[in-house]
Formats: sequence, structure tokens, C-alpha cells
Amino acid sequence: MIALRSTLAGRIFLTVASTVILLFLALPIVLIVVTSFGKDAFGAFPPDSWTLGWYKVLFADGSKWPAALSLSALIASLTTVFSLLLGITAATALVRSNLPLRSAVYGLVLAPLVIPQVVIALGLFLLFEPAAMLGSPIAIALGHTVLASPIAVMILMATLKGIDERLEDAAASMGANRLTVARRITLPLAMPGMIAAAVFSFITSFDEFFISQFLSSVDTTTLPVQVFNVLQFDVDPSVTAISAVLIAIAVLALVLVAAVRRLGGAEKQDGLLPTEPAVGLSTGSETS
Amino acid sequence: MAGSLLAPAPPAPGAATPAAGTGRLHRLRRALSERRTRFGLLNAAPVVVYLLVLFVYPIFSTLLLSLKGEEGGWTLHWYADALQGSNLEVLFTTLRISAETSLLSLVIGFLLAAAVSRLKPLWAGLVMIIVIVPHFISALVRTYGWIILLGERGVVNNALTDLKVPGAPFQMLYNEIGVVIGTTSVMLPYTVLLLYAVMRGIDRRLPAAAASMGAGRLTIFRRVYLPMVAPGLVNAGILCFILCLGYYLTPALMGGPKQTMVASLISEQVMKQNQWNGAAALGIILLLLTFGGLLLLRLIKAVSEAAKNRGIS
Repeated sequence: MIALRSTLAGRIFLTVASTVILLFLALPIVLIVVTSFGKDAFGAFPPDSWTLGWYKVLFADGSKWPAALSLSALIASLTTVFSLLLGITAATALVRSNLPLRSAVYGLVLAPLVIPQVVIALGLFLLFEPAAMLGSPIAIALGHTVLASPIAVMILMATLKGIDERLEDAAASMGANRLTVARRITLPLAMPGMIAAAVFSFITSFDEFFISQFLSSVDTTTLPVQVFNVLQFDVDPSVTAISAVLIAIAVLALVLVAAVRRLGGAEKQDGLLPTEPAVGLSTGSETS
Repeated sequence: MAGSLLAPAPPAPGAATPAAGTGRLHRLRRALSERRTRFGLLNAAPVVVYLLVLFVYPIFSTLLLSLKGEEGGWTLHWYADALQGSNLEVLFTTLRISAETSLLSLVIGFLLAAAVSRLKPLWAGLVMIIVIVPHFISALVRTYGWIILLGERGVVNNALTDLKVPGAPFQMLYNEIGVVIGTTSVMLPYTVLLLYAVMRGIDRRLPAAAASMGAGRLTIFRRVYLPMVAPGLVNAGILCFILCLGYYLTPALMGGPKQTMVASLISEQVMKQNQWNGAAALGIILLLLTFGGLLLLRLIKAVSEAAKNRGIS
């Protein structure tokens, strides 16, 4: 391709600048992981001596972290189920049917991604408080689903668009009924997308802070709320270890999605990343 | 999920259809398309009902709450409160920090996206992993990382002191520098991704063509490259601004009293002062600002498309 060659100075500048920017993105994360193994929790970097002590503190008797961790996992699992159910039906409607008012439905589905979360949280409080559901894991999961389902819909829409409709038609023409087609053709082909949707729904809920804080009660504090409280009031070095655990969970989830995509043979399937909604929204068009 | 099998066969114009069959075919096609519509409505229903109950209705009740007087009746006095004195200052702080953050994210995002779009696919992929992975790591955790990094005896200050930078150690926490650094790192993946998508779509032959006709580098950048990426820059900037407006975690943890943003104020009014009406009014103001930004995005898109069409014809 004929392209304008950049000057040496320009290339050096861009290389240095992008290295600094990448450090800017990666450093806070790397620092937490490394520091969590250091003896002196807030001391020198890299630490002088190493320990697993902070992780032991996390799971020691009387620690408040295991309860928060399991509550967050429960809520995130519920959210994943809700969000997949909504995502599968919604993506089917948006991709594989004549839907009246299609763009209105699509806009409604994406709206929670740009509406300030504090407004959503405030509204959900007003909804659940009269129903005496504050502090209920189900209420928090229902709230998280508002944020997770748009992501699931986006991913599943991209997945469905990537499946050749003629395969389904061929199966149907050979006498398979609708359910058989869905079960034997569409579902296996959509599996990588479904797993990606599930994983990202789980992470969205697992990391969500505002809705959890507004809907929590004294005995239901999710992990992020707990971390936030610790950071605001009493800084306790075990928070570094729990942060490292959160990083590990997120990275594992991403590796899982990448592995499934690779196994599913999707060498380059665009649209599986939930950052796409932001792109789609800002341009007001669909990423196809 | 198997709605496709109900798809009407694409009409074949000019195909030799027996005249007698056309009417029946037409009716059949209409029946099929009606079934496809019903199938769509059935499948869209769950998500629409869900979002109406748990998303639209709650926001609507927030709106009602913000308009309710203390002794019943309707009032605008919560809005008057929200737009007065220290509350108004918080609103301006929010706009200022959001503007600073989006500007910084745009500049940094532009540099990185420009660099990545010149890389070979393999390297570009690796760099994008470093951009995307942090996006999926809890913002709370990343903020905590910044708190450790920017502390008085944190890594950054230690490095600056060792380098004998005058004035080190700097105060970078609990002031605006900290908030803008932290928030920018949260917003950066968005701008990089948006700008990268735009830059990848640019025809690299155009700058080369301009050069062949004798344009200098600065002229090429200003007259050829910048106009091509400008819509992307505006998009990314506005989106980043909107997302910042309601952002809470990083400003709350890394800012001082002068960096209180609207979301923190709402949280404080609810948690500490039990002042629901005022919080609701602030929430609605935040919502209106967001709508304003989204409207602006639409408008700019319409204008730039109109300009493009004019250019073609």
C-alpha cells in the first residue's frame, strides 16, 4: 500500500508516547498484584521481601471478605441467568424477525449503558424500598441485570448475525421443527457468543458498585461496596490482596472468552467485546 | 431462534410466475410476514417489559419525587435548591472535571490510536490487549492502584524525587490532579477504541496523494488527516464527557472537598442527610445533561452526513 512514510523523529515520539500511555494503563494493575505479595503493604516498590500473609488474612476467621465474596458471586450468578434469558430473546427479536418499532426497542435496550448509574440506582431504591426488598440479593441482581442485559444483547446480536440463516433454513427444509433447529443448529453455533455474554454479564454484576450500595443493607454488602468502605474509612492492607483477587477473576474471565472464541473457530469475530455498545451508541448506528 | 425459517423467499422480480398463482403467493407471503412479526413481538416482550419496570418506571418515579413538595403538591423548589450556592458549585465542578478528563483522554487516546494504527496487526493486537484488559478490571481496583501510586511516598513521587525533579514530592492525591489522572485512566479505553476504529477506516493513500502534490507534513495533517478523524474525535469527546458526568468512584476516592461531583453529592444527600427530593432533582439534572450530550451527538452525525452527501453529489 502506498502510504505516507513517517519521519524518524515522528516515529520515536509516537513510540515513546505510546509506551508511557500503556504504562499509564497497566501500572496501577501491575502494582496491586505485585504489592499484594509484599511484606510491607504500602512500602517500597518492588517490595523488599515477599509473603502470602495478606491472602491468609483474607480467609482468616472473623474476616468479612469471604461473606462479601460469596454474596457477590451469588448476585452475579443470578444476574447472569436473568441477563442471558433477556439477551437471547431480545437478540432473536432484533436480528431474526420483523419487529415493529425495532429502532425504539434497540434504543431502549442500549439506554442503560449511557444513563448515569446514580440515576438508575436512585430509581431502583424508590422501587424496592416500598416493597421491603432492600438488602435482598434478588433485588440487587434485578438491578444489575438492567446494566448487564444490554451487553448480553449486543454480544448475542453480533453472534446471531454471524450465523448463516441458510443453515437453519436447510435444517427446516429437511423436516426439523423449530425447536429442533434451535437446539441442534442455532444453539451449538451460538455457544461461544452465549458464553461470552454470560461471562461479561457476570463481571458487570461482580464489579458493580452504585446499585449495590443503594440497595444494600448492613448485612448485605457486596465485595465492591466492602472494598469502597475500607478505602474510605480504615485502610487495611488486606484490601490489596482482595483487589488482586478481583484482577485475577477478571483476567481469567477474559482468557475464558478468548479461549472459547478460538475453539469455536471464530478467528476474528468482531462485536464480541462489550466496548462495542459504546461505539455503536456514539455513532447512533449498529455495529454489524 | 429459528425465526429465519419463516422468512419469506426474496421476491424474484421478472420471474415467470403464473398469473393465477400471484394472488395466493401474495397472501402466503403476507401470512408468513405476519407470523414473523408475531414471533418478533413475542421475543422482544421480556426485555421491553423488564426495562419498562426496572429502568423506565424508576427513572419516572425519580422525576415525580423531584417535583413533589414537602407538604404535597407540586414544586420546582428542589431544582431551585440544586441550582444554588454550593450545589451549583458542585455542578460546575462536575462540568469542569468532565471537560478536563475528556480533553486529556482525547489527546492521549489520539496519540495511542495513531501509533497503534501504524503497527503491524500482531503488535496492534498486543497493544489493544493492554488497552482492553484494564477496561474489564473493576474501576474501584484501578482507582486503588492509583492511590498507592500517587501517594506522598508512592512509586511516582519516589521516582521523581530520585530524579531530583524540583518540587518533588508533589501532592497528587485528594486534589484535582489525582481525580483527573484517575478518571482519565478509566475513560481512556473508550477513546482509544473509538479513535482506533476511525483511524483504521482511513484511506492512507490520501495523505500520500497530498504529499505527492507538494503539501507539507503540517498541511497534510491539518487539511487532510484531521478532517477525516474530526468526526471521531468529536464523538469520542462527547461520549467521554457524558460518561464522566455521572461518574462517582474515582472522584469520591481521589478527590478532596473541592472535587465533589454531582454523583457524590447525590450519594451524600441520600446516605447522610436522607434528602431524597433534592437527590432526585440532582439526578434529573444529570439525566438532562446526558440527554443534551446524546442529542448533540445525533445532531453532529446528521450534519456531518449531510456534508458528506453534498460532497459526493
